[in-house]
Amino acid sequence: MNPFLLQKGFSKELDLFPHILEFGVKKIQTIRLTSFPVEKSNSFSIYYIWDGRYDWLIDDRSYILYPADLALVLPGQPFGSPRGTLDIGSYGWISLDIGTSDSSLGPFSGLSPTESRSIRKILLLNNVPVATSMKETGKLFQQLAQELHLQEIGYQTRTNQLIDALLILTARQLIQQSHSQRDFSGSFMKLEQELRKNLSHQWAVEEMAALVGLGTTAFTEKVKTYTGFSPLNYLINIRISEAIKLLKQTDTNLTDIALDTGFYSSQHFSTTFKKLTGYTPSQFRKDNTDIP
Amino acid sequence: MNRQDCILTIDLGTGAVRIFAFDLQGIFIGSMKGSYPTFHREPDQSEQDPEQIFITVLYVLKNLLNERIHPSGYRVSAICFSAAMHSVLPVDKKGNPLGNAITWSDNRGKMEARQLRTSPEGKTIYDATGTPIHPMSPLIKITWMKNEDKHRFHLTARFLSLKSYIIQQLTGETIIDYSLASATGLFNIHSFRWEDAALDYAGILASQLPELVPVFYSSPRLRPEYQASLGLDAATRIIAGASDGCLATLGAGVWGEGKATITVEQSGAVRVVGKEVLIDEKQRLFNYVLTRDYYVSGGPTNNGGVIFEWFTREFGSFRKAFDLEEAMEGLIQEASKIPAGSEGLLFLPYLLGERAPIWNANARGVYFGLNMQHRQQHFVRATIEGILFEIYSIGKTLEEHRPIHTLSINGSFAAYPFWAQLIADMFNKPVHVKNNSDSIGLGAFLVAATEMGMYQSLEEATRGIDLPGMFRPDRNNHEVYMRLFPIFERLSSKLADDFEEIAGLQS
Repeated sequence: MNPFLLQKGFSKELDLFPHILEFGVKKIQTIRLTSFPVEKSNSFSIYYIWDGRYDWLIDDRSYILYPADLALVLPGQPFGSPRGTLDIGSYGWISLDIGTSDSSLGPFSGLSPTESRSIRKILLLNNVPVATSMKETGKLFQQLAQELHLQEIGYQTRTNQLIDALLILTARQLIQQSHSQRDFSGSFMKLEQELRKNLSHQWAVEEMAALVGLGTTAFTEKVKTYTGFSPLNYLINIRISEAIKLLKQTDTNLTDIALDTGFYSSQHFSTTFKKLTGYTPSQFRKDNTDIP
Repeated sequence: MNRQDCILTIDLGTGAVRIFAFDLQGIFIGSMKGSYPTFHREPDQSEQDPEQIFITVLYVLKNLLNERIHPSGYRVSAICFSAAMHSVLPVDKKGNPLGNAITWSDNRGKMEARQLRTSPEGKTIYDATGTPIHPMSPLIKITWMKNEDKHRFHLTARFLSLKSYIIQQLTGETIIDYSLASATGLFNIHSFRWEDAALDYAGILASQLPELVPVFYSSPRLRPEYQASLGLDAATRIIAGASDGCLATLGAGVWGEGKATITVEQSGAVRVVGKEVLIDEKQRLFNYVLTRDYYVSGGPTNNGGVIFEWFTREFGSFRKAFDLEEAMEGLIQEASKIPAGSEGLLFLPYLLGERAPIWNANARGVYFGLNMQHRQQHFVRATIEGILFEIYSIGKTLEEHRPIHTLSINGSFAAYPFWAQLIADMFNKPVHVKNNSDSIGLGAFLVAATEMGMYQSLEEATRGIDLPGMFRPDRNNHEVYMRLFPIFERLSSKLADDFEEIAGLQS
């Protein structure tokens, strides 16, 4: 692909696409020193290698990328070349604003709200930032560039569709890479960790299933066999057990405990807690902190 | 009395709680399970969240009561506990947990274990407590905390087991039964008191441990709040119960001379029951107690079904996502096409280091004897045979002390007919198959029923247990295995130096 650079605020081509921050292809014909230092990335970006061999640092780990490899860089992650140089070759990248809210990718996306939320989650939770043999991504990059440059009738819709396709493809690849579909207990443990890390998030079963790479029905059935609980009831176990710790060990008020552990309100917390334990949270706290 | 009485058993297993309900005749009414995770946040660490376990117990108990027990009009007359051995939960002076519980597979005390094991003091403590000196032992775990987790150690008012904590939460009593206590490395199995030499070594006082009670101890009652929320009455007896290993042995009907039980779950064990302690000079065997009259002795292995699961994940063929069960069955079918002994391909299954009988944390896996004729199926069969050779080697160590005539096997892996037949062939003894969690539940039921006076003794209680599913040994296969086993045994000890060196390179 020929080099180009489109930037939000500078390139008219992006006027209709406020979510595209940058889109470009860079060709390096001589090694350039100090042109690519490791810096904190301020956006969500997908890099695709067209040519050459790149030794990059992503989130403090080094990766070697070859043609048709893809790298995913999240906002806040240190990213660059450890030697600060860019080697000979060419690569493309797109930086996107996929929203700061917890809900969805943004108004540009045509995905259903649930899928949008799940895909966003997978991309942002990603801990394997490199995917190999992603020729499909290269094709999407080419089509995107074509749409933006030619601006034929319908290009606004097409461009946004291509971005959706790019995000779906990337999410699928990440899921496949991070979970072999053989080890359910391993995959379930990873999901467990994510649930605990984001306990205040209003998890939907679809999101949980997506993180393990299963459809909702198969996921629910697997979890039920494996744990004895439905996914949401398992989540309630974690919520209540974290709440118990907070009740016993801190002075945090009940509303904060409720919200921190993912209940809608202190009322919701109180009802669920009482139903399961027979105590209201405040009775429970009193009983467990007064023992001499 | 129009309402029929029933007994519940609650087993706090290594990864899940299983609750069984029986009527007073011992007829199974229903069961439910709920699992909880084990955290491995640093090398050698294995921890579980006591609050999550507690909530899971309550949740499963409530579901079982509401769905099976209350609708059928049963009245719960007793609840009897069993639990996985070796957990340590430090709590503060209010009884609140100081972080997570350290569970059986935690290996962080390996330095402490190695030091004590080779010292004369270690020998004295092993003889007194019956628990092999190993990182699994709460004695070593507490010693490790004293050395490496000083802050938590000093804040700790009491060191509980997970079972003690759950019973304490439900009833307010802080107790540990003799059986579970006998797996702590801190309990004298001859005098039935905490062992001073072990307490001194760990740097704690007897008052920092739960109160010792017999397995039949039944005075605790549920707190009123739980009586109300669970719909149980104030008379429901809470019975201390025992450890899962002892109860699985009891529930398998292996009570008396000449019988042994083999469990193959993720890990495995071979156990015998007798009135005497087995004294093993090499400290290879455990001696746990059930009551003052019975010792359950044997040896544990780290490398049970977990090794076959590893093999299946890496080399099996999966037609459906995550369908490990189907993939394992496929492999077993492949293995059955190969003759006994895998035409000279041997496997040492020590991927997780090994406990009995070699007690070598640095041991590793080995395929030995490969030639160009060996195909993939040979590997499958050799892997299963290697796991069971290891079981056989524990059995052989036990036979140095006690004759074994019949075997009762249980556990999800031993239940595969192919595996059961292999065990029969290796031991050259008839084998009965029973389900393991059923055995634990039944064992706990028998303790409760004996406590309630329905049987005179545990011995009498086990007489009614039928032993289903008999497998008879094949003499020819036995001979093949007996030619291979000496090589297996020699390699396991001969490679000690190389295990040490390669383990060093892996860490």
